Amino acid sequence: MAATGMGATGGVRRGPEDVVITGVGVLSAFGDGVGPVLDAALAGRPGFAPVRRFDVAGRRTVHAAAHPGNPVLGEELVRIIGHACDEAGLNGAQRAESALYLAVHGDPELPRVPKHERAAHGADTFARGIARRAGLSGAARAYTSACVASSTAVADAGALVARERAERVVVAAGYLVEADQFAVFDAGRALARDGRVRPFSAGREGLLLGDAVVAVVVESVAAASRRGAKVLSRLAGWGRAGDAHHVCRPRPDGAGLARAMADALARADLAPGQVGYVNAHGSGSPAGDAAESAAIRRVFGEDAATLGVSSTKSVHGQALEAGALLELAVTMAALRAGRLPVNAGYLAPDPACPLPLILTHPTPSSSPHALSLTTAFGGANTALLVTTP
Amino acid sequence: MTSTPQAAVDRLTTRAEAAGLRVVAAAAWPESPADTDPPPIPGFVISTFSPLAAATATRCLTRATPPAAGAEVNERAARATPAPATPPAASAGSVPAAVVPVRRGSVSDGVAASAAGSLPGLAPRLAAARTAVVVVSAFGDVVGAMHVADVVDRGGRPGPLMFFQAVPNAVAGHVAVRWGLEGAVVCVGDVGAGVEVAGGLIEDGDADEVLVVWVEQLPDRAEAVLVAAGGGE
Repeated sequence: MAATGMGATGGVRRGPEDVVITGVGVLSAFGDGVGPVLDAALAGRPGFAPVRRFDVAGRRTVHAAAHPGNPVLGEELVRIIGHACDEAGLNGAQRAESALYLAVHGDPELPRVPKHERAAHGADTFARGIARRAGLSGAARAYTSACVASSTAVADAGALVARERAERVVVAAGYLVEADQFAVFDAGRALARDGRVRPFSAGREGLLLGDAVVAVVVESVAAASRRGAKVLSRLAGWGRAGDAHHVCRPRPDGAGLARAMADALARADLAPGQVGYVNAHGSGSPAGDAAESAAIRRVFGEDAATLGVSSTKSVHGQALEAGALLELAVTMAALRAGRLPVNAGYLAPDPACPLPLILTHPTPSSSPHALSLTTAFGGANTALLVTTP
Repeated sequence: MTSTPQAAVDRLTTRAEAAGLRVVAAAAWPESPADTDPPPIPGFVISTFSPLAAATATRCLTRATPPAAGAEVNERAARATPAPATPPAASAGSVPAAVVPVRRGSVSDGVAASAAGSLPGLAPRLAAARTAVVVVSAFGDVVGAMHVADVVDRGGRPGPLMFFQAVPNAVAGHVAVRWGLEGAVVCVGDVGAGVEVAGGLIEDGDADEVLVVWVEQLPDRAEAVLVAAGGGE
């Protein structure tokens, strides 16, 4: 693909190489692999239940979408990266040449290690350790930008591969529901007290946390072709923009998220009407869903009539730094299955969210192109555009 | 600090210049013995992480901005930007946004036009540019994280303001609001990655300039550079 010139603010560009995804590994509340979480998303079957992993006594909310037991983040990351590399068909030498972009809150041990051990628990050290244990190259970096951490890592990996600076980057992300973030989200009154996530619905109360450990192999089409690897999806476009509006509230007119979408469309050389599905950020928060609705309407306008929108967080919850990568994996799998996820938990229309929501199943996909949207504190917005081959 | 403040500034500047970027302005905290505790930011509590990042970013951006314009933007932005004194969910009123249909094929222009001029009173150089913010920290708000862990381990409830402050995006957003920076917000764990991310954003047209802020605690130290495309581009 040639560099595009229809950028939103003076012309976003990309390198000439086509970028594809050849391997995906997933752990979610529904178990290993993208299959179980996809099945739940297509059926609109949520995975929320009272948390048993740690004590939630005294919290306003007790629900999350957590896998049974108490999985350890580092171990699960290594295992799931292995699954993604296996699916991509990478041998040991190819893995050892691959950089790791890892989206995490940080080293989970950091806040509780003795002072003299603290220096060994930085996010960058954690990322390099995961890369080493997974057999990847030492060129690892950590992304810590909250909910957009993993989508930003995918965008950077896509940009690097498109520029032919690397043949391949492994992008991984992990968040496993734990007591500290649960406590601060609960204290911030961000969690839904009714135990359900109801994106874009009247009566929505907020978000619920969810487990996700996800890895994808981002690769140049030339390298994938040389290896005879099966292409799961094209990473056709990506965009990032800031709100410059508030520390933690979204910009009500959605202009920042709209610019991120416009940049992703420009890089993919697609018009909005060619996109059939948007996996929205749709956290279930009152202000966030309204702002995102404005952003989607801003970009799609009348083309929204042929669009389907849902938030798969309504099923798997909000996995913070890993959420965007889980949603990308579900979006890619839905396109391959030819069916679109249901926006679960829906009660009734909210005039502030005038979107063509997917409320029934099965809903067939109408286009090979889909956008996965993510927003985060700090007014950060990302859009990833994937195309099924 | 393990090195002098000036050496710290030079270090981040050197990394950026080695990556082919032009350093428009640079700053550090502390730069002199007068730099003790950074000025507090309303809504950020317990930890110096965010105030430290904000003070260093402000120092850098002020140096990049003509003095009169810089003073103006600071004053206006300070008035226009309410501190998040209440947690967002508790105060979240849904504001129905204007729906702006965009003709097929004209999405970029339509969005660009709607985004431009959204924050009057910006310093001209920042208003004209799309500036991204990259926060670099291996340990993040470690003082805040240790506080939350301590409260949780004792069976308590953290203060509601710890909600958004637990991630480095929050102070990036604070800086972005104050200076009208509408580019990407990215947080990474090491300086090399931060400089590479900044270079990539500029190369691919996502940003004209990037503010890179490196911040660590225990002890407090921070650096910031505003970078742009190098002379060869």
